Amino acid sequence: MASLIACPHCGRRPKEEFTVKGAALARPEPQAGADAWFDHVYLRDNPRGPYQEFWHHTSGCRRWLVVTRDTATHEVEEARDAALWNRETAR
Amino acid sequence: MSMTLRHHPVLGGKAALRLKDVTLEALPEGHVLQLLAAAPEAGPGLRERIGDSDLRPLAPGQWLLIGNAPLTPEDLTGLEERLKPVADIVDQSHGRVRIALSGPAARAVLAKGTAVNLDAAAFPVGHAAQTLIGHIGAHLARTGEDSFELTVLRGFAESLWDDLAQMAAEFA
Repeated sequence: MASLIACPHCGRRPKEEFTVKGAALARPEPQAGADAWFDHVYLRDNPRGPYQEFWHHTSGCRRWLVVTRDTATHEVEEARDAALWNRETAR
Repeated sequence: MSMTLRHHPVLGGKAALRLKDVTLEALPEGHVLQLLAAAPEAGPGLRERIGDSDLRPLAPGQWLLIGNAPLTPEDLTGLEERLKPVADIVDQSHGRVRIALSGPAARAVLAKGTAVNLDAAAFPVGHAAQTLIGHIGAHLARTGEDSFELTVLRGFAESLWDDLAQMAAEFA
């Protein structure tokens, strides 16, 4: 099994148990305007280095996680429950 | 015209597979209830409200309540009332099927399908986890030193049985 993700609820599990949704971005205000929403929905940075993504533990606890991983080395720095992450990054 | 609903156990036709180091058995389709609590730390409060059924963790704030005896609607209503302050019940008895795997090679068989650490220190008796066995999602519980129980979606039960039989074949 190539990549192991340390799910905060289930422990280390292979990536096959997860579904990746994409970049973990804070949602703009509903009235933020077309440009801000276009950016939020379509534009991604594709950086080389640390990147935060939403991962769903589909075949495990079925919780949404925010996984911080390095796109170059694929090293996983952190995986936390998205509810916690959301509370901490709340506007 | 009156119609009688007849229950067909999905693995009813499978005789237990007894190999030298591992045994595969279809368990009675009793009851499988999913408990959902508003607070993930509700666990201890649940145990005193349930009967003899086995309570197994499924996810944060969720448990499976499992037993061999089918529940009557009255049993279920009673249980719902006792659990009401702590958790809600979703009856999954119709949709989940259980398979028992036991014997000294049981762990080696499961290790072919899941990456969950099944060492006694990390996965002691009474522990449970939702995982993948190959490509099939299943809830895995350790019921004894050398015995495990798998709870799987009904439609996948036969496939999982066949996979396990194949995984166990070398221990004949």
